[in-house]
Amino acid sequence: MPTIGRRKGALEQEVLTALAAAGRPMTAAEVLAELDDGLAYTTVMTTLSRLHAKGGLTREHSGRAYAYSLRGDAASVGASVTARRMRRLLETGNDRAGVLARFVADLPPEDEQLLADLLAAASRPQGGAQR
Amino acid sequence: MNWALCVPLAASALLGTTAAPVGRRLPPATAVRVLTAGALITALATGFVLTAAAVLVIGQAPPVAALGEWSGAALASGDPIPLTAGCLAALAVTVLGLTAFRRAVRTGRELRLAARAGRSLGPAVAGLVVVDDDAPEAYALPGIALPGMSGRVVVSTAMLRALPAAERRVLLAHEAAHLRHRHHLYVQLAELAAAADPLLRPAARAVRRGVERWADEVAAAQVGDRRLAARALARAGLARAAAGRLRPEPALALPGVGGDLVERTQALLAPAARRRPVLAGAVAALILLTTAAGTVAAGGTEDRFETAQSAYAVTR
Repeated sequence: MPTIGRRKGALEQEVLTALAAAGRPMTAAEVLAELDDGLAYTTVMTTLSRLHAKGGLTREHSGRAYAYSLRGDAASVGASVTARRMRRLLETGNDRAGVLARFVADLPPEDEQLLADLLAAASRPQGGAQR
Repeated sequence: MNWALCVPLAASALLGTTAAPVGRRLPPATAVRVLTAGALITALATGFVLTAAAVLVIGQAPPVAALGEWSGAALASGDPIPLTAGCLAALAVTVLGLTAFRRAVRTGRELRLAARAGRSLGPAVAGLVVVDDDAPEAYALPGIALPGMSGRVVVSTAMLRALPAAERRVLLAHEAAHLRHRHHLYVQLAELAAAADPLLRPAARAVRRGVERWADEVAAAQVGDRRLAARALARAGLARAAAGRLRPEPALALPGVGGDLVERTQALLAPAARRRPVLAGAVAALILLTTAAGTVAAGGTEDRFETAQSAYAVTR
């Protein structure tokens, strides 16, 4: 699908999330394949080296290319404590006082099937819903 | 002038009862703006007329009248506020004022907690923090909670793994829209208005729901595909549900929140909401009417006290 005008910084975020989702070092070509969005190789490469320059990524040689990975000790103790603390704040987010709101809130069990059906409907090729 | 004192109360009731359908019919960005403005103005006007009614009745009490150097009898003449109504207004404005104050304090505390947790998340790269967590989470941390820092998007590795690349774009665009359009401000202002005027509680709920819909629409427009945005929402919701089953203590599913996700997904699968200038104009008219009534009530109250003061001067 062609790329529709990206926000500033959006591509950097997409590259970061691709690396985080993969959970392993990736070369520019691998990131490009993962994003699958009609991007130019050079665009991805530039974005990766910019993120590296900002200190967000580490890189090592992988053959003739660089393989990039997220910097940061995600496995550190502090991270999980913080994640728990944020989760508590998010739980009050369901309350009236909450200052934070999740992308998606918890589902009541009866909505789960309904949502699964909607996902199936949205995944069918357009117009296929009638058949 | 007593009619003017009643208008803000009637406007709150009207806004409260119509907020949910209005919020569903208008495009979300419009709905959030007019409902927040409406809630703030009617809450302020309601607080004001309750205070005016209370003061007009309390001012009739001889000790108060003597202290203020006006005639209590003159204040009670003409078209007086019934005694019980005045006393109820005094009670209501005290209780509601305290509620709004407590609510503001609580919001401040929550923001400080969010700031502390936000700082310990470490530095953001390109406005994004990835947290290694088995629970699929994603949220925007507004800059207001982080003094000296700009807003950032926080997302867990479990959430990222649950979504294909195209749907991760939807998630990122959704959270960026929250930050860019300052959605937290609308939510907090509407909640403050609802604390000061409980008739507006449905309006605050409609604003909370509206900012999610607003961010969904921005994300759908940015990826240029409503169905893709719908898939991202549904998949993220199902991933959370699946992770929730693995958790030892299931999170309390609060009423009125979970249902929103099905509704949001359905809204994205339907065509975008039409602009409805008449409906938006009706809410704007209600806001203007409330403001006008508040002004009339203010003028009327002042006149009564002036008359009562001259009456007092004459008796001297």
